Amino acid sequence: MSAPPLLELHDVTVAYHGRPVLWHVDLAVQSPCLFGIIGPNGAGKSTLIKAALGIVPLVEGWVHFWGKPLDQVRGRVGYVPQRESVDWDFPVRAIDVVLMGTYHRLGWLRRVGRAEREFAQACLDRVGMADFATRQIGRLSGGQQQRVFLARALAQQAEIYFLDEPLAGVDAQSQQQIFRVLSELRDEGKLVLIVHHDLRTAASWFDRVALVDMRLVAAGPTADVLSRENLARTYSGHHEVLDELGRAVEAGRRTP
Amino acid sequence: MMGIDGAVAFLTGWGGMHGWAMATAAVVSAAAAVVGSLLVVRRMSLIGDAISHAVLPGIVVGVLLGGRPGGPLATAGAVVAALVTVWLAELLRSKGRLSEDAAAGVVFTTLFAAGVALLSAAASRVDADPGCVLYGMLELVPFDVVELAGVEIPRAFLTGVVVLVSLLVALWSTWRWQVATAFDTDAAAVVGIPARAMTVGLLCATAVVTVASFEAVGAVIVVAMLVVPAATAELLATTLVGLMLMATGLAVTAAGGGYLVAWQLETNAAGMIAAVLGVGYGVAILVSREGILARVSSMLRLRWRVVCEDVLAAAWRAEETGQAVPGTSRRGVALVAAWWLERRGRLLPGLVLSPQGRLEAEMVVRSHRLWETWLGRHVGLPLDHLHPPAEWIEHYLGAEMRQRLEQEMATLADPHGSAIPPER
Repeated sequence: MSAPPLLELHDVTVAYHGRPVLWHVDLAVQSPCLFGIIGPNGAGKSTLIKAALGIVPLVEGWVHFWGKPLDQVRGRVGYVPQRESVDWDFPVRAIDVVLMGTYHRLGWLRRVGRAEREFAQACLDRVGMADFATRQIGRLSGGQQQRVFLARALAQQAEIYFLDEPLAGVDAQSQQQIFRVLSELRDEGKLVLIVHHDLRTAASWFDRVALVDMRLVAAGPTADVLSRENLARTYSGHHEVLDELGRAVEAGRRTP
Repeated sequence: MMGIDGAVAFLTGWGGMHGWAMATAAVVSAAAAVVGSLLVVRRMSLIGDAISHAVLPGIVVGVLLGGRPGGPLATAGAVVAALVTVWLAELLRSKGRLSEDAAAGVVFTTLFAAGVALLSAAASRVDADPGCVLYGMLELVPFDVVELAGVEIPRAFLTGVVVLVSLLVALWSTWRWQVATAFDTDAAAVVGIPARAMTVGLLCATAVVTVASFEAVGAVIVVAMLVVPAATAELLATTLVGLMLMATGLAVTAAGGGYLVAWQLETNAAGMIAAVLGVGYGVAILVSREGILARVSSMLRLRWRVVCEDVLAAAWRAEETGQAVPGTSRRGVALVAAWWLERRGRLLPGLVLSPQGRLEAEMVVRSHRLWETWLGRHVGLPLDHLHPPAEWIEHYLGAEMRQRLEQEMATLADPHGSAIPPER
């Protein structure tokens, strides 16, 4: 038997307050690549990766990494949340945030040592943020904050990365830097999944993409998936049926 | 008819003083509930909490200047303290980078502590006891009386009535402005409604109500009276007037009930009133429109419908293939459902469909097969993944949606090749 896929979602259905928002997603990624998760606003892109990471509960289905549930491989999977989800007034410096990426290796009672500090500094350096190590995170620009987040993910030394809109509201220089680092990760044999909303850049940046609109419309090599027909099916508001049905399921009654 | 004299006789006669104490608690609670309703719908409960504590130094200063604890001077001091609280909290939030809750927490605890210290230091000179500040002295209210038209009336009751009436008059005269401000402050201000004045007025009213209830229930329990009746009513009411009336009713009921229970158990009346309010909130969570009972019952009804429809569909499929009905329809809940469906004329003995049952079963199977077809086409699930989702969704598709799916699919058979029954 061949090796299990790096990531496999099987019939994943997710509901918020009883209303399904993501229906029956079947998706497998076999090998390392830059994987874009693309779709319109409210399509459930973030929900999809939160479901994969066990942040939101599944109504149906399961998610495996290397053929195992997440609990057996924690630490090998990294996550960079949306920038808005964090309290940037929190009293930490950039280097402290990056060091948090190493905590899962330290375990109980062990303190951060010189090795971790040097490594964290190196991670900051890799995203071009070496000079900002001691800056409070609230005093960084949006792009710099995103790069610090990326450095934290690097410090974790994961093998599969999930990034939620890492390029939204980010200056051009930061975009370039982030994209370069993500490409390097792919070249090192890591799987990088990125929630992304900009179709124009998607075609040139990702090796493979998944088109999502409350369900998985299509997934595969970027050139094949980003066809006119698939895009029409993703962006034409075809989810009306799922929308209406979701409301009926939430209320526990039939649709008209 | 009991008449005024009868009522006075009841209030003064029964046990001598309980009537007056209960009446005082009721009036004070009603005033707190009215103000609290606006605070709760404006999501300002925390600031109400803060004000009710922070007025203490204002009251003490008022008393030190020669006023009485519930008198005009103390009230003025309390209003000043309330405005200082809100202003300081806003200052900390905007300049000190504190969140709203932390800012209010810093300000009101500091002011309350100052008030307690001031009170302790001046205890020998003023007629107030720090213990009463925390949980009031409702039981002693009837002993401090003033004479009005020949009748001895407790001062606290009189204060409460004056506050309640002025509050209602103020509210009545500014009602539409209050509602507009509470609902959408910015939009209200843009169309020329004095939104800021409405907000400041609400804060002052909170301070005044707190002072009026201080003697009776104390600084801690008054928070319950501000917040809990309104929070309870919010679960049950759909209009602001309804919410206010319900909150007031709850507050008065809890005042009377709590007092009686406390008297029976020989415990602190104010504390028991707050406890009764808390119990009322618990009951409201259970029985409200989207409460626990409603949700559980709707879930059970849904489960029951699903079980019944599954039994019917299984019988229909057995007819279609000419095989026996599977054993799952002859076990557990399904057995009860089958008995029920027989009673309702959907099934004949031996799990055979009646004409009416056949019709309903057909629509379930139709829903199932249409959904398999839709999923196969739009979600790209493999053939062997289609059945479980359809087993789930078949219970949610209505006639209109089925027609729509059928028109879009334009096929007579599902992905497994089974015929899709027509709509009837």
